[in-house]
Amino acid sequence: MSDKNEMTDGIERDDAMIAIEYTFGLLDGQELMTARGRVANDPAFAAEVALWEERCAPLLDEIAPMEPRADLWPQIAASVAVQQADQSDEDAGASSNVVDLQARVRRWQWTAGLTSAAAAVALAFAAFGPDATQAPGQVPPTQIATADPLVAQVPIGDTGLRLDVTYIPDSEKMLIGAIGLTADGVHDHELWLVPADGGDLQSLGVVEPGKVLSMELPETIAQNLDDGVQLVLTREPIGGKPEGVDAGPVVAEGAFSQV
Amino acid sequence: MVGAPTPASTEAREALRDAMVRLAEGDSTALEQIYSATRVKLYGICFRILGDTKEAEDALQDVYVNLWQRADRYDPDRASPISWLATFARNRAIDRLRTGKVRGGAVPVEEAVPLPDAAPLADQLMIDGERAARVHTCLEALEEPARTNIRSAFFDGSTYAELAEDADVPLGTMKSWIRRGMMKLRTCLETGE
Repeated sequence: MSDKNEMTDGIERDDAMIAIEYTFGLLDGQELMTARGRVANDPAFAAEVALWEERCAPLLDEIAPMEPRADLWPQIAASVAVQQADQSDEDAGASSNVVDLQARVRRWQWTAGLTSAAAAVALAFAAFGPDATQAPGQVPPTQIATADPLVAQVPIGDTGLRLDVTYIPDSEKMLIGAIGLTADGVHDHELWLVPADGGDLQSLGVVEPGKVLSMELPETIAQNLDDGVQLVLTREPIGGKPEGVDAGPVVAEGAFSQV
Repeated sequence: MVGAPTPASTEAREALRDAMVRLAEGDSTALEQIYSATRVKLYGICFRILGDTKEAEDALQDVYVNLWQRADRYDPDRASPISWLATFARNRAIDRLRTGKVRGGAVPVEEAVPLPDAAPLADQLMIDGERAARVHTCLEALEEPARTNIRSAFFDGSTYAELAEDADVPLGTMKSWIRRGMMKLRTCLETGE
């Protein structure tokens, strides 16, 4: 019904309109994910979004300023110091083959359509720090979270490569590592949680080859995470599964286990 | 909200631009200067979108820690630093809202009241010192219901689905209202460019 309206109310929903909708924050779900993917991968679309951001920025002056609590700055300074220390380690060559965290946090938009809080970045450093560099897929020897993490490995065919998924219950953070994988430029791969209660698959986002993504999980997904719960990886068009079509073929699967 | 930009605000803007460039070059001490100059504006934005003190604090922290990593994405020739930072903060806050962690959601537009403002306005860095940007007039010139709903999307982080629910109209109706409004907004803005 709404689709029909969209086509017949005399307004063509061209890329420019989608860019406006994205800039204003009107999109959600799969449409939002797709738009985020396009911001990362489609320079023309990204330029359109940037144009609208620039046009609309003066409106932000209408928002009343507020003073944050005084002890926020020390926390920020501490987080930055932790990252700086890790960066120094990287500069020293401690982790050349791993987790291009530097590049990852520089990304303006997450291709996966999922966002990490700064805390998650710090956590990623802790969990995949220099100690883990020889074996990024293995469970790190030291966890900063107290609850037992859930880990899953999703082997990719017989390539010897795999996705490494780690969920740390205390933090509601999930890390998805796709080290060694490369993009083919035509497809993206989307990771899905298969809820044990037989409910609909829940998207964990588009996998970013060669990177470790850290994300905060919504409660609706986190509540389904448990020992033995399955993950599947599907092959999709760039940007992830389009709305209204079935997911692509399952190309790999795995299951969580508690460690 | 303010009058013409004072020489002080021009200086503040240049100082901020300079700090952003230094940060991009790896001078992490510049971050504290940027924080001092922009925290009240960016916290205001985070709070407005997220409607929750804890979430807004987390978002603000997220903004500055990420800024440390991404300052090189800022092009000093292209955008004013405060404009870029404010947009960055809004985008991070909206991302946070969409992760589904925030239950309360933003402050509904009709309930939005002047918020506690501990910082003198004069110290605030304005994106648009003279309030001359066309987007203000173009947005105000829109007819209802487009105007209110577009404002709610921008300032409260509401999606099409949320706006449709709040207005108790079908999703397609809300999309039509907003898209028609957006077409007018676009025409108005482009006429002025």
